[in-house]
Amino acid sequence: MTDDPTITVSEKYLHDIKRKLSDYETLIDVSSIISSTLKLDDLMNLVMEKAKQELDAEACSILFYNRDTDKLEFEVALCAEDCASDILKKKIVLDMGQGIAGWVAANMKPLVINDVGSDPRFFADADKMTGFTTKSIIAVPLIGRGGLIGVAELINPRKKDYDIEVFNILCGQFAIAIENALFHREVVEQEKLKQELDIAAALQKSFLPELPVFGKGNVLVSAVNIPAEQVGGDLYDFIVPSDDKIGVFIGDVSGKGVSGALYMAKIISDFRFIALQSDSPEIAFNRLNAMLANAPRGMFLTAVYIIADVNTGELKVSVAGHPPFLRIGNDGVYVEDMAGAPPIGILPVEYPMTVIHLNKGDRLLLFTDGVYEAKNRDSKRIGFDAFVDFVSTNKDEENLIKAVTDYVENFSEGVARADDITLLEVKWLG
Amino acid sequence: MEINIREYEGGKVIAVSGEIDLYSSPLLRKQLMVFVKKKESPLLVDFGGVSYIDSSGIATFVEGLKGVMSFGGRMKMFGIRPAIMEIFSFSKLDKVFEIYGTIDDAADSR
Repeated sequence: MTDDPTITVSEKYLHDIKRKLSDYETLIDVSSIISSTLKLDDLMNLVMEKAKQELDAEACSILFYNRDTDKLEFEVALCAEDCASDILKKKIVLDMGQGIAGWVAANMKPLVINDVGSDPRFFADADKMTGFTTKSIIAVPLIGRGGLIGVAELINPRKKDYDIEVFNILCGQFAIAIENALFHREVVEQEKLKQELDIAAALQKSFLPELPVFGKGNVLVSAVNIPAEQVGGDLYDFIVPSDDKIGVFIGDVSGKGVSGALYMAKIISDFRFIALQSDSPEIAFNRLNAMLANAPRGMFLTAVYIIADVNTGELKVSVAGHPPFLRIGNDGVYVEDMAGAPPIGILPVEYPMTVIHLNKGDRLLLFTDGVYEAKNRDSKRIGFDAFVDFVSTNKDEENLIKAVTDYVENFSEGVARADDITLLEVKWLG
Repeated sequence: MEINIREYEGGKVIAVSGEIDLYSSPLLRKQLMVFVKKKESPLLVDFGGVSYIDSSGIATFVEGLKGVMSFGGRMKMFGIRPAIMEIFSFSKLDKVFEIYGTIDDAADSR
């Protein structure tokens, strides 16, 4: 017996221990990379660069699974040539089951192929397009909590002495990190979008009249505007084109969000400029139509412009593709679907003008389509006819605008408002 | 929303179905712009499957129409359901777009 605690191990045993140590080091390295960032691009580049380096691979790539199209798309490709990476990202999309990545995605199993030339699953077109030569490949599915995220591939690894199990564990961690980063990106984007929509709503509001009630002579106008979650681009305005006239304008810009609000801002400033120089509504619309002829992205404006004589109750009305408005008299509610022309900003047209007279106690109710197109939980819309019926039944309400907005809000309770709601009531007090 | 492209008597038919709104209209725009770029005319739009269209969707068709008109081409719509037709007639867009009952009416019109 000797006190020396020497034990003898084989070269292979030592080698295996060293390899395991190195594997653990890699696992620790990747874990720290994974927890170092929530930025998706940084995360993928760092992890794939590390994997490429560990296996001494010539290239690596990540394909993301697109649930909408059921296809795989290149998200990251790290190769010696940047142009090859561009070609992969822009031009190559794989079906599930197509190529090695497609097989791995469809079967959710890793695949190691030492000679791709002899494997019928290999998709040679990618090499043809990039000029790259794939000899061997390791492909592992990236599976997160919500299912398949994509496939990670290492191309031409020179190190053959690796443990596919370790690579599998790494990819499991990596998949969860990608999921977290995607979730983070979504939260950040939602926050950014919310901020932009808040700006759009504030911008839209700043262009509307300061007070929602405006009176002159025998005419009293009141308005309400409730912006949608996405900010719909509704607008209204009161103008005094001359001493004995009042102009009442309601409109709806086709865009939503920031673009809708910006375009609405341009329209309202153009309209104010034009309206002060036009004593008839069709003249204002013809000029506005000419100014908005080159509207971006097909954007247009539907609108009604009424110029009322505050002494006589004579109204000159022009309609540009806007829904009909309602005339509420003592004897009933009438839909005023008068001659009109298409929305402003589409085609060079001449807008018609119609004259109507209001009698004592008559009212007009003008609105945007957000009112009767409001949806309920069952995705059913109010509909124009049902809306007219509601107004007919409730026409004697003290505050008709409030009754209507309550009706719309109750109808669509629990549903995010998809479009702005704007209502204008014009009362003839004479 | 879904978009399908088919040929009819040598012209392109773009068949749209579902809801055309703020979220789906960018995809429709992309497809229409491809046809505008290629100067496809007449461009036949099958509205048969469209259940809803909002102003962003209409703006997309307005942009497409302006694009087609810029090279002297035509865009013709057909198969519009009554509820959608109401939107078109309320907004007098039936005076802007060429609207037909069937694909044959659309294709035969001069």
